[in-house]
Amino acid sequence: MDLSSFEADNSSSCRLASHIPEVCRTEDCCLGIDEAGRGPVLGPMVYGICFCPVSKKEDLKDLKVADSKTLTETERENLFQKLDEAKSYIGWALQILSPNTISTSMLQRTKYNLNALSHDTAIGLVQYALDSGVQLKEVFVDTVGPAEKYEEKLSQLFPGIEVTVRPKADSLFPVVSAASICAKVARDRVVKDWKFAEDLREVDTDYGSGYPNDPKTKAWLLKYMDPVFGYPQFVRFSWSTAQTLMDSKAATVHWDDDDEETGEKAAQRQNNRSMLSYFSASAGGKDHNPTRKTHRFFTERRLKSLNTL
Amino acid sequence: MATKKKRTPNAESDSWVVIAADSVIDTQKHDSDPAFVRLRNPATDEASLYLLGSGDVQLYEVKAFQEDFRSWFIGQAVQRDGKLLFVTPMDPLYLILPYLIKSGKEGKFQPVEQLVVDEEFPACSRLLSCTRSLASLHHVTEEKEVGGRKFHRYSEEKTMSWLKKKVERTVAALRMRNVCVGEGVTSATYVRVKPESDGREEDFLRYAHGLLSEYISEQLSKALLTHLGLPEPSSPKEAEPPSKKRKLSDKPVEAGEDYTKFNSADFARKPPKKMTTAQKSLAKVDKTGMKPMSSFFSPKVKAEKK
Repeated sequence: MDLSSFEADNSSSCRLASHIPEVCRTEDCCLGIDEAGRGPVLGPMVYGICFCPVSKKEDLKDLKVADSKTLTETERENLFQKLDEAKSYIGWALQILSPNTISTSMLQRTKYNLNALSHDTAIGLVQYALDSGVQLKEVFVDTVGPAEKYEEKLSQLFPGIEVTVRPKADSLFPVVSAASICAKVARDRVVKDWKFAEDLREVDTDYGSGYPNDPKTKAWLLKYMDPVFGYPQFVRFSWSTAQTLMDSKAATVHWDDDDEETGEKAAQRQNNRSMLSYFSASAGGKDHNPTRKTHRFFTERRLKSLNTL
Repeated sequence: MATKKKRTPNAESDSWVVIAADSVIDTQKHDSDPAFVRLRNPATDEASLYLLGSGDVQLYEVKAFQEDFRSWFIGQAVQRDGKLLFVTPMDPLYLILPYLIKSGKEGKFQPVEQLVVDEEFPACSRLLSCTRSLASLHHVTEEKEVGGRKFHRYSEEKTMSWLKKKVERTVAALRMRNVCVGEGVTSATYVRVKPESDGREEDFLRYAHGLLSEYISEQLSKALLTHLGLPEPSSPKEAEPPSKKRKLSDKPVEAGEDYTKFNSADFARKPPKKMTTAQKSLAKVDKTGMKPMSSFFSPKVKAEKK
């Protein structure tokens, strides 16, 4: 697995893929989708697909691929090695969503939540397989959100493919287990050897599992918080763990679309007039500043006179 | 021409981001640095910030572009205040004018040094060292020269024609810059098929007058409006219909209309002249023992109670 293209720019999303086995272009194939690193506050989320001809399903079982969570890191590495060696009939592809992508998606003006991001990534990978000429007939997915709804969504998007969405699919279908191994191995490698875009000098890489409840992770987050910038891009800013710490320790930053300030309060702050004031005849006169109004040439351009520097 | 200047902070930690012409900080010809000064704003009569260019030869006004939620990253520092200052050349005559008007009421010719005095803003005398000041005084005053000394007296007539010229030049500038001067809202990206309709000249004049009024007293602004031949804009308040809500008062309530005419004899009800055939046939029906329709709606007759 060559991670160099992601490491070159780990602030955005990146796709890695194996060579497409010839047999997959001619025979009916099955495909499994799984993800790794959904919960941690640190590092990327990796989506993986694995595909092979339906006829080779048994061979996959023989490789003893199992749910990646039940395996140790070395076992996973070994299994990935085997999968990669079976390139004559097994193909895989990965989408690495950098923590920065996750942060900016979830915190942008029109919020793009993690479920939507997950679904779209999975859909993108299936489309990639189709575009590469893989003869997909069956797709197995570990669910994100309600399984029925997700299954319906995918079936509609990919007519002619039998979509099965199940919770715990990674322990039910070997092809999903294989996908989960690919995803997990990629995430482990990226996290282990994270190239910090920021200049942190001798960075302490002992950040634990990266999950919010890990005391090591928490301690690391405290240590590397900057009062102005918050965290390195390695941290998912949209996680409440990160947000709570910044709220209490970092400098307060106000944005245009801050949630607290809506309706009346925001209107008041922006010096807007209440809608009601337009209906009463006298209110207009009272509201107006007794001193003269600045000409609209200046107000439209947000220009003000100053009386002090 | 305009350069972005990052001033190093003086005593305070704050710095400002300023856009100004190079000439503002040109200290080659003069020894002194440009200085921010507080002077009396002719429109508001309160303190405003101005800048006197090197050697006090040029006056600049200082305007701040200010919006919510703005901060600066300056070098390796963050500045909470996201203001952007504009330092733009200004005619010093606008600032001198209020002093001339004030002493003009005395009606005497005086040397200008005596006219431009302000206890609250002692820096105002520095305005007179601006190159344009003394040279342009004749636009707004009558002058007399006695023994090599010049004496001045404010002239409203001259001031009006001076301001009128300013308005005309502003109109030209507005036209050149395609500033939207009409009433209502126009999108900058909206392209009109037809050229702007008539009445635009007045819009431009009014807009320019409004813009200029930011630099003169309210009184002068009104006088200029008349001088330009522009009618006072009708206030929307007057055009509004009176409030429908009745006002409470102690006075006896009087009817708004005369209802007594209905009491006169010729208003007495006359029977309908003609009945339709249907009505006629209904009238013939035997109604004995039948209650009139109205009895169903009137309160019960108390006769039964007896």
